[in-house]
Amino acid sequence: MSATQEYVQNIRDTVTSFWHGMSITLSHMFRRPMTVQYPDRVDVPVRDTLPPRYRGFLEMDSAICTLCQACERACPIACIAIEIEKDPANPKQRIMTRFDIDAAKCMYCGLCVEQCPTGALQHTREFEGTMVNIANLTFRFVDPTKPVTAYKLPKGAESYPRRMLGEIVQQQMRAWDAPPPPFIPEEPAPAVAAAPAKAEEKAQ
Amino acid sequence: MESFVNETLVRGLMHENPATYEYTWLVQVVWMVTLAFLAGTFGAVISGIYTWTERRMAGRIQSRIGPNRVGPAGFLQWIVDAVKLLLKEDLTPKDADPILFKIAPYFVFLGFVMTFVALPFSASFVAADLNVGIFYILAITALVVVGVLMSGWASNSKWALFGGIRSAAQVVSYEIPAGLSLLVPVMMAGTLSTQGLIQFQGGPQDGAWWQVGGWFWNWTAFANPMAFVAFFIFFIASLAEGNRTPFDLPEAESELVAGFFTEYSGMRFAVFTLVEFGNIWVMSALAVILFLGGWEIPGVSHAQIAASPWYGYSLISGGIFVLKTLLMSLVVMWIRWTLPRIRVDQMMNICWKYLVPISMVLVVLTAANELLMAWASPLVLSLLHIVFFAMAGLLPAVLFFKQTFKNIRLMGDRVDLSNW
Amino acid sequence: MNAAGQNVLLEKLSQDSDLMLLNMGPQHPSTHGVLNFVVQTDGEVMKKAVPQIGYLHRGIEKIAEQVQYPQFMPYTDRVDYLAAMFANEGYALAVEKLLGLEVPPRAKYLRAISCELNRIASHLIGAGSMAMDIGATTPFTHGLRERESINDLLEALCGARLTYNYHRIGGVAFDLPDGWADRLRKFLDHFEPFVDEFDRLISDNKIYIERLAGVCTITAEEAVAWGLAGPSLRGSGVDFDVRRDLPYGAYPELKFEVVTGKGWVGQVGDAYDRYFVRVQEMRESVKILRQCLDKLPAGEFQAKVPKRVKPEAGEALARVESARGEMAWYVVSDGTDKPYRVHARTGSFMAMGIIEPKSEGLMIADLVALIGSLDIVAPEVDR
Repeated sequence: MSATQEYVQNIRDTVTSFWHGMSITLSHMFRRPMTVQYPDRVDVPVRDTLPPRYRGFLEMDSAICTLCQACERACPIACIAIEIEKDPANPKQRIMTRFDIDAAKCMYCGLCVEQCPTGALQHTREFEGTMVNIANLTFRFVDPTKPVTAYKLPKGAESYPRRMLGEIVQQQMRAWDAPPPPFIPEEPAPAVAAAPAKAEEKAQ
Repeated sequence: MESFVNETLVRGLMHENPATYEYTWLVQVVWMVTLAFLAGTFGAVISGIYTWTERRMAGRIQSRIGPNRVGPAGFLQWIVDAVKLLLKEDLTPKDADPILFKIAPYFVFLGFVMTFVALPFSASFVAADLNVGIFYILAITALVVVGVLMSGWASNSKWALFGGIRSAAQVVSYEIPAGLSLLVPVMMAGTLSTQGLIQFQGGPQDGAWWQVGGWFWNWTAFANPMAFVAFFIFFIASLAEGNRTPFDLPEAESELVAGFFTEYSGMRFAVFTLVEFGNIWVMSALAVILFLGGWEIPGVSHAQIAASPWYGYSLISGGIFVLKTLLMSLVVMWIRWTLPRIRVDQMMNICWKYLVPISMVLVVLTAANELLMAWASPLVLSLLHIVFFAMAGLLPAVLFFKQTFKNIRLMGDRVDLSNW
Repeated sequence: MNAAGQNVLLEKLSQDSDLMLLNMGPQHPSTHGVLNFVVQTDGEVMKKAVPQIGYLHRGIEKIAEQVQYPQFMPYTDRVDYLAAMFANEGYALAVEKLLGLEVPPRAKYLRAISCELNRIASHLIGAGSMAMDIGATTPFTHGLRERESINDLLEALCGARLTYNYHRIGGVAFDLPDGWADRLRKFLDHFEPFVDEFDRLISDNKIYIERLAGVCTITAEEAVAWGLAGPSLRGSGVDFDVRRDLPYGAYPELKFEVVTGKGWVGQVGDAYDRYFVRVQEMRESVKILRQCLDKLPAGEFQAKVPKRVKPEAGEALARVESARGEMAWYVVSDGTDKPYRVHARTGSFMAMGIIEPKSEGLMIADLVALIGSLDIVAPEVDR
């Protein structure tokens, strides 16, 4: 190719490629944008548009928990804390007094859910966990004052009566937004101060 | 403009005879300062609005929405941004040259706002109708590069230095093709005055309704092939002078972080941004003045404009000028969101191997053309212009829009403006 | 940086005091993550660029020694966040080799589908951010837009948009959801014209071609010698693809072309070739996906895996063709339920080596193009 031809060819290439590029960008001005205005200007809450397999906050329905602790063993980062003790009233029966999931630590891998024999532990489609205090992100699924006994698997059952998915988590999430109590009861300050002192005495 | 001051202000408002009234000069000076202030304020406001426009436009091009929270369609975003930047701390780096660092934005701002002195908005609304108007604008915009170089040097940052040096090299080289291509309309019109250049695009003094006024075919850009090419060269060169993509090397984000204003914060940063966006207006206005008919109204001759009161055709012509400039600015923004950036050596290549030689040839050809077409009567000229406009303006536009809608069909999309 | 590291760096740099020392990164728009390049320049022209890595080191390989075999799977997602499926698959293949497991055919196809979708998503980012480094922002967002559709598909498939954790030792975690195959077909029909549009928007652009043609040319010998992998290797004209030459999973049954650089606009092995190989690979991935959907066998999607994965002592190496090149997972077992050692060889890390010898005489803008054309992802470099 001679130099002149190349010179003209360069100009022609520039014009044609700009022609196509500009027409493509212009055409996008006549198309509908892809984005949605999260969170307040969407037709349906984003949570409801997520697929069923979405891995959001974990939720455990203590009513059908078999106390097998498979989830705790499966968790790679130990974000599930379970405490199981013997029922003082009935030493043969094991009771669960604590089932905490630290959603701030959780990496939402879903390994624990796969291990759950009854489907008590499930991923919900809740994902909005913004808050002031990160400690609030620990979900407590068992009230220590009302310990949970193991769920007996009914023979030949295909499914287990689980509460609606997301109900428990939503209930706890509402508490984050709830207004504080009318007054904050005073902390028993002297007791807290005395406790370490006693411990020190013991140590000595 | 002088007649406007004499007749309307001195005689109409003050009931004095302008020829004998001893303060006529004072009225003229006050009027000029007022106009310059108005034009400068307009420049500041328009550059603010451009930040919003550009972001909205970029949003659409990139299949998103852009700012949409503050005010209707996010229109007040620019005010919020400016207020936020005003409240930010004005930081000077420890090792920077404090004086140069602080005054650099003023230089940049001065070079920008002083161009408005010679930008005519209508037949009567121009702060100073200099007989070297275009020359003045070219000279004064070069002041921006002094500020840019100053900021680049004074920041004591390597990125800023790179940006400053690149900007200096770029602006200085692109002055040449800009000046040469600008000679084409200047030779055709025979004047350097901005008003004169616009009035040249008003067609013959008297003729049929399709001959007079700012019809497309009367524009310099569609007068002959040389002017048509000169328009593109001028446009490319002014993109480079305004540091716009594909010539945004001085502030190349992916290479130089933010270029010459890397170290600036607060209101000084805002001034740089203001000038950057305001320059879009200046470069579009220049293109409109020189090549796209300025404020000329289609079908209205100069005699009619002169005969009308200031609020009549004058206001309409101001509106036309603003509209054309806005459309031109949209093109500048649209280019930014389409094209990649060129490299430093290629920037020089384009200037010296393509733009400068071509514009030199254009100058010679235009001179020959002027001699050649001296015989033609206004009617013949008008007809020739119409034919050329149909070929160079109308046909590509139609093809372009066909291509655009073809693009939409190819992707299986359809035209949907419901979310604009 | 410790004193020893500083000395190494100083030895590499020229002692000429006329040169300017420039720290590009760790916070720089075009380093694709947290990377640092110590650049010595003479004005715009570079004398040398020395990459400094380690800013994103998270000790993923060490973590593997603390967790059980199946528990390491979510961590493999974090090796390369733009193409997590390949790390999933590589690790799963390595452990399956240790266990001597045979993966059911349906699982193989599901793995291929998820990986090819992920490859498209990753190449969209790679090609788009390349264009963004050159200064065109729009192709990147258009790429992101299509990637969102892929993310939606993968989210429906496995529940996450970025850290998929979809593959399991012995198969995959889930079968296809109802109607998913049709959704994928619809997306592919939409995606093919998109690649054409992407080409017309940026690949054919004259400025873009001028910026990349003949820039940072890596010859085939150099590419092999420096251990480049994947599209960067094929961009230099080396015809090597793990999917075809060392087949694994469902790939032996699938027909596709291995795209190699042909010097489309300049020389073979320039930055444009490496870029355009990625664009062409997206087209090939679409073909593979269509074949997978047509051939998808019925049956189990997970093999019978013991509840406690405890391979016998030994070692295994699995190689997969990741979006950023050949990814090799090396797993050593000592007979317990935790790996003794896990190592990942990643394409980005291998690509970092060639930057220093290639940087001499480039301009600063070309360095950005070189980094972009190698498609480096910082977490994959450091792991």
